[in-house]
Amino acid sequence: MKWIPTCKETTVLASRAMDQRLPFSDRMALRLHLAICENCARFNRQLQEMRRLFREEAAADDHAAGLTAEARKRIATKLQNKPDT
Amino acid sequence: MDTLDAHTWLADHGDYLFRVARRQLHSDELAEDAVQETLLAALTARTRYAGDASPRTWLTGILKHKIVDLIRRSVREVEIPCDADGEEAVDLLFKQDGHWAEPLRPWGNPQAEAELGQLRHVLDECADRLKPVMAQVFSLREVAGMETEEICKELGITPTNCWVLLHRARLFMRQCLELNGFSKAGAA
Repeated sequence: MKWIPTCKETTVLASRAMDQRLPFSDRMALRLHLAICENCARFNRQLQEMRRLFREEAAADDHAAGLTAEARKRIATKLQNKPDT
Repeated sequence: MDTLDAHTWLADHGDYLFRVARRQLHSDELAEDAVQETLLAALTARTRYAGDASPRTWLTGILKHKIVDLIRRSVREVEIPCDADGEEAVDLLFKQDGHWAEPLRPWGNPQAEAELGQLRHVLDECADRLKPVMAQVFSLREVAGMETEEICKELGITPTNCWVLLHRARLFMRQCLELNGFSKAGAA
């Protein structure tokens, strides 16, 4: 990797930075590129935004569909017939 | 054997467990399997349930293991992950010199209730559109908040493959969200 990574390389660094602490040189390379590239800076913000949205969505006790009646019945039967262990 | 508890659990927590599983597994069928296996396991283990956690918390704990088991099985079934297909799809997003092929559009900031409902729908749609293994690794990381190392270990895939999967999932997910109404004037 050169002093300043390309956009493609930067997305790899930005993604990995979401999961672990990058080595110093990678951190600097990422920061340099983000300082001069509007698209990648936006990409980086949107990665954080995605995480926030997905966690929020998961936390909300939403009204998404639950078990269907058939599935419920099938599971109930399984429970009923479970051999004693 | 008295199965009364299990039927109560199914009635009280079945939908909740199903939604949690559905979110991770991206499949109605697999999610139903996960709920069933969870309740069967709970029935077997109920003498060990000390009652110091709420039934829902206890059941959710069992469910998480079942979800990982199911994902592990599907990971084995599908040969993953550093396939040429995925790399080609990534290449389409960039020019040869490594610059973005298209400028990224800013995202709106949904506030109204209707917009939030729509947003939820788009998040689910886009997650379902990823390749299953990719969607599952993405969900374990971004939705369930598991550490990457833990995910690799549980699924028996190498850390390198894990990073590649996550990186691609994020690229495609972002792209999908942008194409499906996330881009509006303002905000991020």
